[in-house]
Amino acid sequence: MTSSTTASARPATPRPTEPSKTKETLVWLGLLVLFGGAVVLSNARWSQITGIFTDGWRYLQLMGQGLFQNPFSEPYSEYWSLAFDRMLESVYMAWVGTLLGAILSIPLGFLAARNVAGPVTVQITRIVLNAIRAVPELVFAIILMLPIFGFGPVAGAVALGVGAIGTLGKLTAEALEGIDPGPVEAAKASGAGRFSILRWAYWSQVLPEVIAFWLYRFEINIRASAVLGVIGAGGIGSLLGQLFSRREWEQIGITLVVIIIVTIAVDSVSGAIRHRIIAGSGQKVTTEEKAEAAV
Amino acid sequence: MTATPATSPATASAPERPQKPKPSLTVIAGLVLAAAFTWWAAKEIEFSLRDLFTNFTNGWVVIEQFLSPNWSFIWRVWEAWVETIAISIIATCVGVLFGLIFAFMASRVTNRSGWLYRATKIFLSIVRSLPDIAYVLIFVALVGVGALAGILALIIFNIGIAAKLTAETIDAVDRGPLEAADAAGAGTAARSRWAVMPQILPNFLSYCLYIFELNIRSSVVIGIAGGGGIGQVLNVQFSRFEYENVAAITVAIFVVVLLIDQLSQYLRRRFV
Repeated sequence: MTSSTTASARPATPRPTEPSKTKETLVWLGLLVLFGGAVVLSNARWSQITGIFTDGWRYLQLMGQGLFQNPFSEPYSEYWSLAFDRMLESVYMAWVGTLLGAILSIPLGFLAARNVAGPVTVQITRIVLNAIRAVPELVFAIILMLPIFGFGPVAGAVALGVGAIGTLGKLTAEALEGIDPGPVEAAKASGAGRFSILRWAYWSQVLPEVIAFWLYRFEINIRASAVLGVIGAGGIGSLLGQLFSRREWEQIGITLVVIIIVTIAVDSVSGAIRHRIIAGSGQKVTTEEKAEAAV
Repeated sequence: MTATPATSPATASAPERPQKPKPSLTVIAGLVLAAAFTWWAAKEIEFSLRDLFTNFTNGWVVIEQFLSPNWSFIWRVWEAWVETIAISIIATCVGVLFGLIFAFMASRVTNRSGWLYRATKIFLSIVRSLPDIAYVLIFVALVGVGALAGILALIIFNIGIAAKLTAETIDAVDRGPLEAADAAGAGTAARSRWAVMPQILPNFLSYCLYIFELNIRSSVVIGIAGGGGIGQVLNVQFSRFEYENVAAITVAIFVVVLLIDQLSQYLRRRFV
């Protein structure tokens, strides 16, 4: 914490006194009270926690049994292929939804950037984007999509798309505000029109970053699509919901493993692309970053 | 892809116009692949926006109900709100504590054992790859419907996020204090506590608040699958088609999330 200068010849300097710990102690006490209050107010039946150790072990064994059966024998081959099919449906839902949100977020991103639009427009657009960000996708799906599109992946995709607008628009606006003004001046000096300036001076500069955001959002949306599935938007979530209500542990184990495999595969491909886009081909990726991209 | 500023000299014998760079093969291949995947994905889920126009009246009925929220309902469900906030507090506290331990194990700076580092990384990426709803379903099966299932599911979910964010911060710490600790003969625990912890503390606290925000947001998800809190109320009202009540809760969720966002942003700015 403190660096003490040792002077061998001179009489020993007094040891610096420790800074007061009153504030720290008070913060810890406050947290403890908060935590204790939450434990009491949460209405959780804590005694049931033993279920983890009794039932948990049994269910884990059942899941393991399903996993270690020959995956090419009936009915396990069906379990595996059904899980993969549904997971792919979720991935498709996430992809279409992300693309929809990405396209819609471009104009909003421009309107929310201080160096592009006027202050009034920026404020209004930002309020809209923040409002969208605050509403969970699930609520969009419940309110808007299911009554209009009916139960199915299209409703899920549109809900994910609308939900993505808020974050993507905000990130695009922030990227636009951080650009180098040089190219904008150059474009203006050569007599470029309004659209040309936006396209060639602004958009070109933020494109790599924005595409990286889109891919990142795609990774998030794969997880979010599972949630939408449980309320009837299809995909892996619907399958999980059905399996858990029937307590088919063997099939649940297989399905969870499929989710893990596909998610990690998509994440690592998308992470590698994001890395390549941001870092460019010229730069060497350091080992640390490589490790991060791989795991 | 890349902007080519055209130089236009007015006088002098016009120098040759610079050639447009050839489009890179990788970019074209990438675009074609993305387009093909989009087409395939849209076809597989039978994507079309036609319903938006044909069924809009269908949705409008619901939306009309939505536009007249039953405000009195908000105050009737305040207990569920207390429950949601309590769930988030417990899950955040426990989750970030375990997350911190895993973060120290998931960074080469603090973990000097190669195999333990790799094992932790793999374990954490598996934890992160399952969606939150899957954890809720698992714990509902284990401990029954209620707040406990929600708390346990969120704890696991939080460990994944907290460990990843904190481990990345640990990777970037200043190595000076570490060297000093090593020179003074500190053990693994001591150098983590006294050379690394003080450096990452502000960021770590800000992640804690961020995770708390996330937990409030996912309270809807938690409730849908039977994990207690306001989401459960929402689910019940939704299944009864009481859209006025659903609307009231939605507005309340919106306000609470916004308030907590603001509060945590203010606190985070003070920490970092």
